[in-house]
Amino acid sequence: MFGFLLGEALRDLRRAGRVAVSAILLISLALAALGAFWLLSSNLGHAVTQFRERVKLVVYLKREPASLEATALVERVRRVPGVAAVRYVGKAEALGTLKQVLGKDAGIADSLPQNPLPASLEVTPTAEGATLDGARALVRRLSALPETDEVGGGVDWIDRFAHGQRLLWLFGLGVGAVLAGAAILTVATATALVLHARREEMEIMRLVGAPEHVVRLPLLLQGMMQGLLGAVLAIWVLVACYAVIGPRVEPLVTETLGIARLTFLRPLNVVSLMLAGTLLGGLGGWLARGRAQA
Amino acid sequence: MIELHRVWKIYSVGPVKVPALSDVSFRIAKGEFVTLCGPSGAGKTTLLRLLYREDVPSEGEIEILGEEVSELSRRQVAALRRSIGIVFQDSKLLPGRTVYENVAFVLRVLGTPRREITGRVFDALRAVGLSARAQAYPAQLSQGEAQRAALARAIARKPLLLVADEPTGNLDEGMAAEVLDIVKDIWAGGTTVLLATHQAALTATLGRRTLTLHGGRLVKDEG
Repeated sequence: MFGFLLGEALRDLRRAGRVAVSAILLISLALAALGAFWLLSSNLGHAVTQFRERVKLVVYLKREPASLEATALVERVRRVPGVAAVRYVGKAEALGTLKQVLGKDAGIADSLPQNPLPASLEVTPTAEGATLDGARALVRRLSALPETDEVGGGVDWIDRFAHGQRLLWLFGLGVGAVLAGAAILTVATATALVLHARREEMEIMRLVGAPEHVVRLPLLLQGMMQGLLGAVLAIWVLVACYAVIGPRVEPLVTETLGIARLTFLRPLNVVSLMLAGTLLGGLGGWLARGRAQA
Repeated sequence: MIELHRVWKIYSVGPVKVPALSDVSFRIAKGEFVTLCGPSGAGKTTLLRLLYREDVPSEGEIEILGEEVSELSRRQVAALRRSIGIVFQDSKLLPGRTVYENVAFVLRVLGTPRREITGRVFDALRAVGLSARAQAYPAQLSQGEAQRAALARAIARKPLLLVADEPTGNLDEGMAAEVLDIVKDIWAGGTTVLLATHQAALTATLGRRTLTLHGGRLVKDEG
């Protein structure tokens, strides 16, 4: 029986013709937009995670401590809540790092009358310490140390970035929802056309005593098919765009966001998009079903 | 099999009440062949529509196969209709399907196992003499052939009751006789038949029990 119903649904899909094609395209557009924002947002999410993992606070010291003092200070800071790791950077090491950064211009550093760089502690926060509130509290604690001159670094910018990422996702969801609404209406229109085309069949079905689900299920199935086809098309478009555009923008992304490579949607995301498409189409078919009642 | 008790059907046309059937009562036993005759507008089609529950009476009771049809749920109506074969004047064949597909269609929607369908379709087509035209589309059939195909569709699911609404209305005398012979064969096979016609001459040739409607009233029950 299911094979028959599926066959009838395919027949209905062919009957709906151009309107069904429009519905499929609209669904694919809605899901492609949603998927593109999802893709963008998830890659930005990876960047945010990496930023948080790499975040460091620098505690600039008022004076360079003696070796034993430095070891004791590192131990004391390590015990501060929100601190995962501490590394002491002496003045000489700081200058050496500066020379490495300057490369062929390292001579400039040599011409200085004295080393102007302060000794510092590189503090790696714990995951909790890398949150906006955690980092603020940590900065307060580190600033309160008597040896501290100034605390540099923070996570405010990461949180602004994460906020932007969430906004982008919400915007994508909004665009997807508007397009999905249009797609549902188009599927409903296509189903209404099918209803008109198959009114004689439905009359016969009812007159011979066909169960109501047999009369209506093909309508729902053809809507779901439109949705599924739209979703498959959307995923194909996303894969094609990812394959073509991904390698071109990857160097830029690596440079700016620090993520090694762009990642495509996870299999679960792809399945979700396909389910969303099927549901959208089904909803359109279901909305038109009322007109199938005798 | 069929029992009508004081059945009225009144249509409202604005403030005006138009009685299509007035106080109609009769009984048809299992295995009977009954002709329902009367001029156009006598109420024949209205009466048949009440029998297969396409409509409900304004007053009175209709019992078919032991069920009071006015009180049936949608599901029970579907179950009732599975026992009734219906044939219309315009055959109502689906234009995009062949004769075979038209007959098979009703079997498929009723969940007949696929392996049984071909045999039952060809049994029905043989019974109406149309097996050679199985692959023809309705547009390629004569009116007589179309009506025979409609009969095949009605009997393929072996109904207990065959309701035929003017099945010969659009046919010439020769074709009408052919269709009536087929209906008689179906009846001889054990199916109860209720055949509506406005052709009085046809009623005479059938020589069966005849119910005559006039102006919505049952004016004669003879034979």
